[in-house]
Amino acid sequence: MKVAVIGSGITGLSTAHNLAKQGVEVVIFEKKTYLYGASGRNSGGITTMMDRKELIELAKRSIKIYDDIQGEFSFNFLFRKDGYLKVADGFDMGRLEKECRLQRSMGVKVREIDPFEIREIVPGFNPESVDGGFIGEGGVIFPWPVIWGYVEGCRKLGVEIMRNSEVKGFEVENGELKGVKVKDETIKVDFVINASGAWSVLISKLAGVELRNRIIKEEICVIESLKPFIDPYILNISTGVYISQSARGEVVGGVVGREATEPDTSSTLDFLIGYAKGAAEMIPLLKGLSVLRQWAGVYDASPDGLPVVGETELKGFVQANGLGRRGMSLAPAIGEIVAKIVLKGKEYDEFSPSRFQFPERTTEN
Amino acid sequence: MRLTEHPIVKFKRGKEITIYFNGEPVKAYEGETVASALYAAGITTFSRSFRFHRPRGFFCAIGKCSSCMMEVDGIPNIRICKVYVRDGMKIKTQNSFPNADSDFLSILDSIVDRFYPHGSHYRKFNKPKVLRDFVTKQVRRFAGTGNPPKKAFEEKGSFEEIETDIAVVGGGPGGMSAAIYAARTGARVVLMDENPFLGGQLVKQTHRFFGSGKHRAGTRGIRIAEILSNEVGELKNIDVRFETKVFGLYNGVVGAVEKDKKLLKIKAKKIVIATGAYERTLLFENNDLPGVYGAGGVQTLMNVFGIKPGDKGLIVGSGNVGLILTYQLMQAGIDVAAIVEAMPRIGGYFVHAAKVRRLGVPIYTSHTIKRAIGDKKVEGAEIVKLDENWCEVKGSEKRIDCDFICVAIGLSPTHELLYQAGCEMKFVPELGGLVPMRTEYGETTVEGIYVAGDVAGIEEATSAMMEGRIAGLDAAIKLGYGGEEAIRLRDEVVRDLKEFREGPFGERILSGIKKVTFEKEAISVSAPEREEAISEGIE
Ligand SMILES: Cc1cc2nc3c(=O)[nH]c(=O)nc-3n(C[C@H](O)[C@H](O)[C@H](O)COP(=O)(O)OP(=O)(O)OC[C@H]3O[C@@H](n4cnc5c(N)ncnc54)[C@H](O)[C@@H]3O)c2cc1C
Ligand SMILES: Cc1cc2nc3c(=O)[nH]c(=O)nc-3n(C[C@H](O)[C@H](O)[C@H](O)COP(=O)(O)OP(=O)(O)OC[C@H]3O[C@@H](n4cnc5c(N)ncnc54)[C@H](O)[C@@H]3O)c2cc1C
Ligand code: FES
Repeated sequence: MKVAVIGSGITGLSTAHNLAKQGVEVVIFEKKTYLYGASGRNSGGITTMMDRKELIELAKRSIKIYDDIQGEFSFNFLFRKDGYLKVADGFDMGRLEKECRLQRSMGVKVREIDPFEIREIVPGFNPESVDGGFIGEGGVIFPWPVIWGYVEGCRKLGVEIMRNSEVKGFEVENGELKGVKVKDETIKVDFVINASGAWSVLISKLAGVELRNRIIKEEICVIESLKPFIDPYILNISTGVYISQSARGEVVGGVVGREATEPDTSSTLDFLIGYAKGAAEMIPLLKGLSVLRQWAGVYDASPDGLPVVGETELKGFVQANGLGRRGMSLAPAIGEIVAKIVLKGKEYDEFSPSRFQFPERTTEN
Repeated sequence: MRLTEHPIVKFKRGKEITIYFNGEPVKAYEGETVASALYAAGITTFSRSFRFHRPRGFFCAIGKCSSCMMEVDGIPNIRICKVYVRDGMKIKTQNSFPNADSDFLSILDSIVDRFYPHGSHYRKFNKPKVLRDFVTKQVRRFAGTGNPPKKAFEEKGSFEEIETDIAVVGGGPGGMSAAIYAARTGARVVLMDENPFLGGQLVKQTHRFFGSGKHRAGTRGIRIAEILSNEVGELKNIDVRFETKVFGLYNGVVGAVEKDKKLLKIKAKKIVIATGAYERTLLFENNDLPGVYGAGGVQTLMNVFGIKPGDKGLIVGSGNVGLILTYQLMQAGIDVAAIVEAMPRIGGYFVHAAKVRRLGVPIYTSHTIKRAIGDKKVEGAEIVKLDENWCEVKGSEKRIDCDFICVAIGLSPTHELLYQAGCEMKFVPELGGLVPMRTEYGETTVEGIYVAGDVAGIEEATSAMMEGRIAGLDAAIKLGYGGEEAIRLRDEVVRDLKEFREGPFGERILSGIKKVTFEKEAISVSAPEREEAISEGIE
């Protein structure tokens, strides 16, 4: 059996890794290079503090995989589990309380924290800026060594990774996928895994398959390196502003993304202005510091917030996308699921692409 | 260390004030940068390197190398070569214990480096998990350079939105010429420079310029800067913003910070980038030791602030910059031990070389610097002979006594803004490195973004001025200013520039220019299409 994976982001790599472990011949097509997609541009926040049962399970499994796999690869992911802190204003506190109940019921360690206590954990935090928060399991990972590690792991298992190889189309016969078109060549494969993140709708279109994921563009920046003083990953769910501090001491932060019409990774001045205001409101000590660099990334979100994983009406064409802003926390486990779908024909109704064709089955958030 | 007598430059020092360095009072004069004031007071170690805590002094003096970062009035990570002194200012070294001058953590340099080379924090101690978790925590302990501020910055920032016809970034000869010629047609111009004065590199050039008579040859660089900035000052439709650092171009919007406090959002119909160039450095042992400076850094210190870089220098590189710098140093009463040049012959113009020889400075051709000698600062240098294959000749090492080393091996275009804006770039050695593709009027592949001066290719002030005029005029013409007269003038300058480059020294430049000039109608690609082009392998 031969499988083609589209995209060398975390989803594509973890899928390829799991398939190759089972002895499958895998080739990854990447239109640019590693780290070009959201997997090389994200803020590395990892947590099990999710709002859906299915997501919590995936996140738990993924953290376990990260712990195991680092020893297997020769890369330290610099995964620092100093906690994940979600804060909100009064209007949104109800939402946090509700998800916290769900998280607790599934054994996630999480507790409510009042704004003055936050200041004891994060020096300089402005207790006035929020009405409350919850702190729980998670922390920050450095996405680059994660990707480098998976690339190394895949290569060792014989996975071929083709960079600068954009997938331009497919060969289909009688409703069955037969091959992938790359660089004027058609490569015969038995399965194609669409793990192309924000580009997955475009890829689906090429295959004639409907996919209703939205493209989300998110901007982010880092402030020059400081001695570590921010331990947890902080996300304000009301303003969308998030802040954490990398292993190098750089303060990484951004504003949760917004829907875009196309995968566009240009930076804007308005983002910097908005982020600066939001970040300085939350941690006033950041005022007056210099921004070192800014960038933007794109990812895709499914209509109901759960990943889209499973074979489509086009036989052999498998979706593995729609991970939203949680891809780093979910993808290692998604890779295992895709392998089971391809090798064992297993079905996961909750993630199945067909769930959107039956409106009565769409679960509300 | 301050110069009082200089045959050409008169140093008008401001009021004497006191600043505090790690708690100790230091005398300074208004109008000088913190870096120059500290240097004048004999302080040479400005910071410690990020990982191994090696001592670092200033290098570039223009805010580009990051080796002078300190905490200023409680704000960490400030490049003190770009900050002007204020009475009572408190300056502290960072990332060192107890201070940058004697940092205990520098043992990291001698011990850890052997077992823990660069990049290994991803690779080493990865197994078992306990060890990995431990190391991950420890890495963090040593991370970070500045201390987080103790209390929030109190001054209020402000914001200004400006709409203009043409925004010009950089106030050197290129940028000033663009602004002047555009403004003369009636266009509204905003001219920004990160310094508190206009002139760019020219303010350091105390020598008489070479170049053709029509283009101010024989005039000293500092004088050309004066003439141009007076002209800028007279044109009411040029809004000059000093101490204004442009940090980004966002689709016709220029982002800048004025005097560290005000954010500017400038909506410009056309943008001229004239950001000049910065010093290249060279790989040799101890090249980061305080006392190893860029040629421009030394010129700034000496010719702008009137501070002696040291008593005896070694110059690496015999191009015009190295030669001119040598006699500028001698002029200021500073000894030059020698000039080393890796090539078998002198790089710069004969007139300059002859002058240096007359002053008795030895020039070692086919030689390079092997290492800087010294513990906390330069105490000497070892040079070595190179054979025809550029290999070191064993046994030819020679010690040179000096207390500073100037690296004058050339400049690289300050191209970052262009790259960020999505202009198509090309690496062209003849032009000094990565430069943008452009039309004969200086317009890049991103419509409305122009280039002029050293950023378009390392050349000279004369051509920078001509390129500036062309870019300024063309931008104005495209906006409907200036009429026939402007078109005629633009085409005349284009011809002049061609003629100028056809001179004896233009051959190399011309071959470089040929590689990056395109006809607009032929390949007018905008930024997003460019991505496509690359992905399709067309480039
Ligand atoms: C600013 C930002 C912050 C984020 N913060 C977090 C966070 O804190 N925590 C978290 O869990 N998640 C975060 N995310 C989300 C996370 O990064 C993504 O969910 C995840 O990286 C998606 O991975 P992926 O492999 O599915 O897609 P990508 O990493 O985007 O990979 C897709 C790849 O497909 C390639 N491709 C596209 N078209 C083609 C084609 N035609 N042919 C071949 N290859 C193609 C692309 O070049 C790309 O490399 C953030 C995202 C951004 C942008
Ligand atoms: C030692 C030496 C001797 C020389 N002798 C001669 C000579 O004899 N004859 C001759 O013709 N030429 C000579 N030159 C070359 C000449 O000085 C340069 O070619 C010329 O100054 C280039 O002009 P420019 O306008 O392109 O850039 P610059 O003069 O470098 O000016 C660029 C300006 O832009 C500013 N800037 C950069 N980035 C930003 C930003 N992001 N925001 C705001 N401002 C910014 C810089 O601070 C600077 O002020 C000499 C150069 C040197 C170093
Ligand atoms: S940045 Fe200040 S010396 Fe280079």
